[in-house]
Amino acid sequence: MSLEAAGFWGLALVLLASSLAVVLSKNLFHSVLYLAVALVATAGVFLLLQAEFLAAVQVLLYAGGVVTIVVFAIVVTERLVGERLAQTNRGVFTGGLVSLVVLVILVLSLWRADLPRTAPPPPADLTQAIGRDLLTRFVLPFELLAVLFLAGLLGALFFARKEE
Amino acid sequence: MRDVIAAFILLNAVVLIVTYLTYVERKFAARMQSRIGPYRVGRPHGWLQPIADAIKLLIKEDIIPALADRPVYNLAPIVFLIPSLLIFATIPFAPGLGLADLNIGILFFLAVSSLEIVGLFMAGWGSNNKYALLSVMRAVNQIISYEVPFVLTALIPVVLAGSLQLSAIVEAQRGLWFVAYPVIGQLAFVAFIVATIASENRVPFDILEAESELVAGFRVEYSGMKFALIQLAEYTHMFGVSCLGTLLFLGGWLGPGSAHPGWGAVWFLLKALFIFLLVTWVRWSFVRIRVDQILGLSWKVLLPATLILLMATGFWVAWSSGHVA
Repeated sequence: MSLEAAGFWGLALVLLASSLAVVLSKNLFHSVLYLAVALVATAGVFLLLQAEFLAAVQVLLYAGGVVTIVVFAIVVTERLVGERLAQTNRGVFTGGLVSLVVLVILVLSLWRADLPRTAPPPPADLTQAIGRDLLTRFVLPFELLAVLFLAGLLGALFFARKEE
Repeated sequence: MRDVIAAFILLNAVVLIVTYLTYVERKFAARMQSRIGPYRVGRPHGWLQPIADAIKLLIKEDIIPALADRPVYNLAPIVFLIPSLLIFATIPFAPGLGLADLNIGILFFLAVSSLEIVGLFMAGWGSNNKYALLSVMRAVNQIISYEVPFVLTALIPVVLAGSLQLSAIVEAQRGLWFVAYPVIGQLAFVAFIVATIASENRVPFDILEAESELVAGFRVEYSGMKFALIQLAEYTHMFGVSCLGTLLFLGGWLGPGSAHPGWGAVWFLLKALFIFLLVTWVRWSFVRIRVDQILGLSWKVLLPATLILLMATGFWVAWSSGHVA
């Protein structure tokens, strides 16, 4: 087994175990910590695929940003307001159904897709290539995202304003 | 194998330097307050004090609060320390003297150092202590607020140099250090220093450990070796950010005789020490400001200012390279 394969299987194991722990852990705070592990392991997978830029962004935005905000929400509601947050959910059946459907869709689409067996050579400067594509080929989704963020900001302002 | 040995040497060198940075800070602070500072342990001038402190902390009793979340509480100092040490992986101390000169160097630095907050959370939550919890709440406010201006100011040298690679950013400063770049450089450097002080939680932004209200903030329950690890992580991170400031604004290893890696490293360390002392100087000169003032400064002053500065830098670079008619 090559070093790359060993790295992949090791990361896959960590990723699966921590993802399972996110949903199975009874303690909500522990769930978030496992989520952070899962997100960093995903960045590791990106690194294995030689997408360093993506790996760094993954860590910066998800592990650094999203986890921070989730933990903040938990700390404020559970410890300071004293409201108990339940991690379990009654809708086991529907939840299972939805995840089964997602699994089938994912497996089917991967099965049908004609994936290349060998990795295409990465462009010389990946960061530059991403930047160029983002502002030319994918400029519409990029700008739509900006509009979405603006809407989010305005929504936050609306909820945070002083009651008249 | 060579990389492993290099990493081992780098790690130990960093820890040793950081240990002595605490000594430098204590002496510097003492000087500012007309005291002498550590003097008794080791002659001359108590130079063995950091070693003595380390040994003392090592052999102290390790106390775990009865109601603490044990695994989280015990892991927190380690999770807190690892990102602080990892950021040194990509820092070039001199040409060819560094572990990995990644072509996304600065992004790696920012990403890894943003992981520090996870350890902070674990410490604050795991202690199950109201002071620690309040401290973590304040930390989130502050870190979310200052992460954005910090990243934006760090991007200004990136735009000027046209590269994310730290060694390329230094090479771009061969003619003129970015701190001396007309107008843009000085404003960006000031913003960088302010954002650094805030993201390192130092006075005047140290509300999360505010001794008079929160005892010691998120680390109030820690003792012995775990306390030492948290302390080490904070100073290591401070040193790392000083190194980043040196690379981004002060021309890294550039200086007389810097063609030789040895001299380059000397210049680099001197400049990093300068930034560290600058931050320490602020720390011992100001008083703590209120939470709302800290957040107001970030969102109402620093964020718009750095955003405008970054856009201005972009326009200037595009204009001077002839892309805009």
